[in-house]
Amino acid sequence: MGLLTDPRSGQGKLTKLLIRFYKKFCVLLYVGGIFWFCALASPSLNANTYFSENALLPGLVKSMFQEDKAAMRYYEELVDETDKYDNSIPYPWLLAKFSQIGLDAYTHNFTLKSPLNPKEKYVGKNVYGILRAPRASSTEALVLSVPYRPPSSIYPPTLPSIAIALAFAKFAVRGKYWAKDIIFLVTDHEQLGVQAWLEAYYGVTCGNEGTLIHGDLKGRAGAIQAAINLELHSTKIGNIDIKIESLNGQLPNLDLVNLASKICAKEGVYYTFKGKGIKYIRNMYKEWKYYFKNMLSMISTQSTGIPNGNHGLFLRFGIQALTLEGFEQSKNGARVGFLTIGRVIEGIFRSMNNLLERFHQSFFFYLLPSPDRYISIGLYMPAICLIAAALIIKACAKWCQLHETNQKETQQSEAVGTIVGNTVPNINYLGVIILSVTMHLTGAFLTALPELVIPLASNFEVNVSHTVVLCLLGVILSTLFIPFVLGRLRRCSASMDFLCIISLLELGTALICLAMNNFSLGIICGILSVPFALLIRPTTCKYYSAIQKLFWLIVHPATILFIVVLVNTKLMFKQEDAKEVLFRAVDATEQSILYSITDSMIYGNWLYTVVTSIFISNWLCFWCVACSSIPKPVVSSEKKND
Amino acid sequence: MSTFYIPLVFSGTQVIKEIRKWVYRELSEKNRFYDDSILITMKIVLILCFLVKIQLVLCYGNDTFTEELLIKPLFSDQVYAHFQFAVTWDKDPTIKKYHHTHLFPRALGEIIERHNIHELHISLTGGLWRYESWGYPVVDAAPGAEVWAWFKPDTVDIDQNWKLLANTLSGLLCSSFNFIDVSNSISPEFSFRPRGSTDWTTVNSTWLRYASLPREIVCTENLTPFKKLLPCDSKLGLASLLNSGFIHNTKYHSIALHLRPICRTETCESVSLELQLSVSLVYDYAILGTRNWSFKKLFGQGLEGKCPLSSRSNIYVDLSTSDSKKFDLTPTPDEVVTSIRGGFVNKYALYHISPNFLSISGRYEDDNEIFVKKPPSLYANQYLIGYGQERGGIVSKIYNNHWSALEVVLLQSIAWYVPVYLHTLKIVSNGEILKPTILKYIPGKQRERPYYIEMVLNLPPLSETLISVDFDYIFLKWQEYPPDANHGFYIGSAVVSSYLPLAKNFTGLPQDSSTIYSSFNASRSGYLVQVRTENMVITLPTPDFSMPYNVICLTCTVVALAFGPLHNITTKRLILKKKCETTLVQKLKLKFETIRKQLVKSKSD
Repeated sequence: MGLLTDPRSGQGKLTKLLIRFYKKFCVLLYVGGIFWFCALASPSLNANTYFSENALLPGLVKSMFQEDKAAMRYYEELVDETDKYDNSIPYPWLLAKFSQIGLDAYTHNFTLKSPLNPKEKYVGKNVYGILRAPRASSTEALVLSVPYRPPSSIYPPTLPSIAIALAFAKFAVRGKYWAKDIIFLVTDHEQLGVQAWLEAYYGVTCGNEGTLIHGDLKGRAGAIQAAINLELHSTKIGNIDIKIESLNGQLPNLDLVNLASKICAKEGVYYTFKGKGIKYIRNMYKEWKYYFKNMLSMISTQSTGIPNGNHGLFLRFGIQALTLEGFEQSKNGARVGFLTIGRVIEGIFRSMNNLLERFHQSFFFYLLPSPDRYISIGLYMPAICLIAAALIIKACAKWCQLHETNQKETQQSEAVGTIVGNTVPNINYLGVIILSVTMHLTGAFLTALPELVIPLASNFEVNVSHTVVLCLLGVILSTLFIPFVLGRLRRCSASMDFLCIISLLELGTALICLAMNNFSLGIICGILSVPFALLIRPTTCKYYSAIQKLFWLIVHPATILFIVVLVNTKLMFKQEDAKEVLFRAVDATEQSILYSITDSMIYGNWLYTVVTSIFISNWLCFWCVACSSIPKPVVSSEKKND
Repeated sequence: MSTFYIPLVFSGTQVIKEIRKWVYRELSEKNRFYDDSILITMKIVLILCFLVKIQLVLCYGNDTFTEELLIKPLFSDQVYAHFQFAVTWDKDPTIKKYHHTHLFPRALGEIIERHNIHELHISLTGGLWRYESWGYPVVDAAPGAEVWAWFKPDTVDIDQNWKLLANTLSGLLCSSFNFIDVSNSISPEFSFRPRGSTDWTTVNSTWLRYASLPREIVCTENLTPFKKLLPCDSKLGLASLLNSGFIHNTKYHSIALHLRPICRTETCESVSLELQLSVSLVYDYAILGTRNWSFKKLFGQGLEGKCPLSSRSNIYVDLSTSDSKKFDLTPTPDEVVTSIRGGFVNKYALYHISPNFLSISGRYEDDNEIFVKKPPSLYANQYLIGYGQERGGIVSKIYNNHWSALEVVLLQSIAWYVPVYLHTLKIVSNGEILKPTILKYIPGKQRERPYYIEMVLNLPPLSETLISVDFDYIFLKWQEYPPDANHGFYIGSAVVSSYLPLAKNFTGLPQDSSTIYSSFNASRSGYLVQVRTENMVITLPTPDFSMPYNVICLTCTVVALAFGPLHNITTKRLILKKKCETTLVQKLKLKFETIRKQLVKSKSD
């Protein structure tokens, strides 16, 4: 037997040190991880952004756009036109404008069967025009998308962006230099329209089959390379906010972000990221604070996996995309008009037109503490790795400890004179594995629950949304009692230790994997769950057991969600009394759960799936450990003192 | 024509050249007294010239060259200009020599002779012909480069000849035809039948090779050698309008070369060799800046007379859009020809090119009208579906806007690095599954043969047919990626061929003629269209050819190397072995002993 499998050979110096100091070491790792994470915002750990892709040549050509008057005219016409259409897109007007400009104009119809009520149907219509590039044969394309918002919409209007898109199209048809077709896409119903259009373009369904019926497109333009989503809320723009967070925490290539900011800077538009522009601060601490706040703000948006603009749905299809949102208010009162905005669009599109290859040079994984600084994946991953390492170190130490105690018991029993075989295998491997698998099946059941409940609920004509949430809550609550039906397994300290080890390893691995895909979600989960997961152990002490149960209940995903929503509600409705706020928070929590379910059914957002199938199952495993009731040892109580 | 004349004529032309040179040299020298002898020699030369001319006429009497230009303002915001040059060589097919040519380009003659070619069709195209809004062109061409050739049945090694031909053509037209080999060529059964006359009893597609290079970019370097194939080069006649600075600023430009044997007479007792050279251009009004086109706007210059070698030099302006969008032509046309073809009446303004300067322009009366597009009877699209790098699909969409069913042939040649699966082939027409009448499929082989799908479909009237087939994404060997690996790989366009019963929006030439003029009033039983779809760019799984990639590769190697010892250390136990306490001398003795033993052993064996 070798080192890995021989427990006796592990009793080296290192193992002994590990067993002795692992607690301090774990705390050190966790604190180190947090410290590293905080330090990321320091200017010495992040760098200035730069262009990796030489072919972009940003801002090299002279801006020629002069169609600002046309844009103004389009805007006025459009404002008149929207009054005639209550809720739908004024597609005849748009189609007419597109064909007048000289684009191939098409419409696209889609239908949404409400995921919570299959009988409800919503229809939508997108309008798009394709500028056929003279220098190529429709093999590649760029997209300029604008969401259409009717006057009744709760969101700020975007009519100016439709006007400027039309004006840009009018300008661009005269260009003989286009090598990529440009698709001007006006979408209906916010993200649904974009999602339906993309699904139709690629002939696929991303969410559940039969929820979003994407229809078909009449005109296509080859492989889409990049997309810019434009949301201007006014004809006069004070600042442009660059939005990048996309579905499931994906981010566009950093080159595209740099391109947008560089062109904005070139045209003299004040641009921001998360509402904060470039700032030069002398004081080191203040600088760090400024960057840290911005970074946290990005992390909070990215972690939900919900796109914060229509650009977010393009990334799944390998299309690099971002949103330029224009606000009227400005810092110093300086505003730019359609001319400058048109030139920004022209600059971005001409640069992207230069691309010979897809965006591939620069970073796809990064954090932005400021529009001009970035933190690369190589720098931020150690933070989460340190935090997750605490879990893994603890698992290792526990494993060694388990064998150490085993060995000691063996030695004792040998000394006493009993047969070895009877005392060693006190770990019920099979029982623990079955328990762990059951917990994961419970998680999987939670994942599938909405799809099982919705058809039933709609058959019995009860309120579907309430039923789904109540069912979820019911299942979650009932799973809390699983440990109490375990019987003997619950009383076996070694088995519970083994379960704890498995769960620790699982949590550590899950955190690192998650952080690879969506760092923000990973780090938040890590920071919240790791300290409590480190505390959990099968214990004989009643008070300790109660405390760890309480702590562990607090970090249940549902509790965390409720706390976050509660805090948010309290902040939003400051003047209301506690009871009112509580009711609002309950309501909002229900809504947020439902939104995450519908998001996963329509867009294929995996936040709900990850939380239910991984985090809740893992939480349940730890819950079993926390709920173990170890009988007080009679003989060697002083030795088990860990 | 006997074989006897040809060498004589050849020497005759050379003699003329030599003498001409000599005379010019003599004349150019200053203060030279004109000797009687020189005059006499000049006279002799003139007589000789005359004789040679007669011989030329005798020998090549029936060689003809025609040049034509068709300008067709399209219903959308474009104007279409098509140059059609045709050389007919009444060559005796029994004579295998192609070296002695008159109007026919000799470079091409040599190629025909060397590679035993029966028919040759080449097109080099930039941009995509938009059938949906532009109707049908005179000559269909796929984006990029496309070439197909019929070899004579007695050709020995067709594959070898095909490769050599491609390489020669690549030199002739300065294009990348040299990338054509067996791995991207197919022999379609139905789509590319011989266009000219044949005396074969059966047509066997093994004599045919077809290949397309969708990535080929067409520009001036292809146009210049192309112009050299014309008898007048680009110095005189319509070819002088082919000004590369202007004709590449178009939405679509295509140069094509079609070589085929044609019947000399109606009864087809003898055949001639016909070479069609065409240049198709589509100008966009938005890029031109105005709707009012003129020669100056389109080609940058006017026309300075015709090519003296041509037997027909005409310019036609299609007046079909003039009814709805009135435009005036200056100068007024020499005549207006009415053509009734396939049930559709069309008018053409005809200009005979005179030796005088000519510049035609069209002026529109009203500038601001948009027309509802009426797509032609048959057109097709092609696109990719699916995302990610696991599975994808190729979809061809064929629209039949005709009121009756149409029989079409769909040809798809898919490169070997896109493995398609025939069992996933789905043909759905208007929501119903359609069975192909004939389906031909040859699976591809990696690096050896492309995937070939050809099917005959009977499209229901007024239908939209989707033909989809799934494919896998595969990794290539790392040297097989081009330098711009992340650009993607191209899949060539599909070809949809059909005989349309009506000549609506049709400008193609009839099969039996080579001039635009002969397409007037040329009603036939069917009108061949070969619709080319879009090219597609597909992103194959591409390794990250960058610094981090190298680092990962290196790290993996180090890890792999470290794994062995680490595995050994962790799984095997190290046991202390008693050290053998022998001195060096003892060791040597021991070794010596063993060697001795071995020697003894081998001797005893």
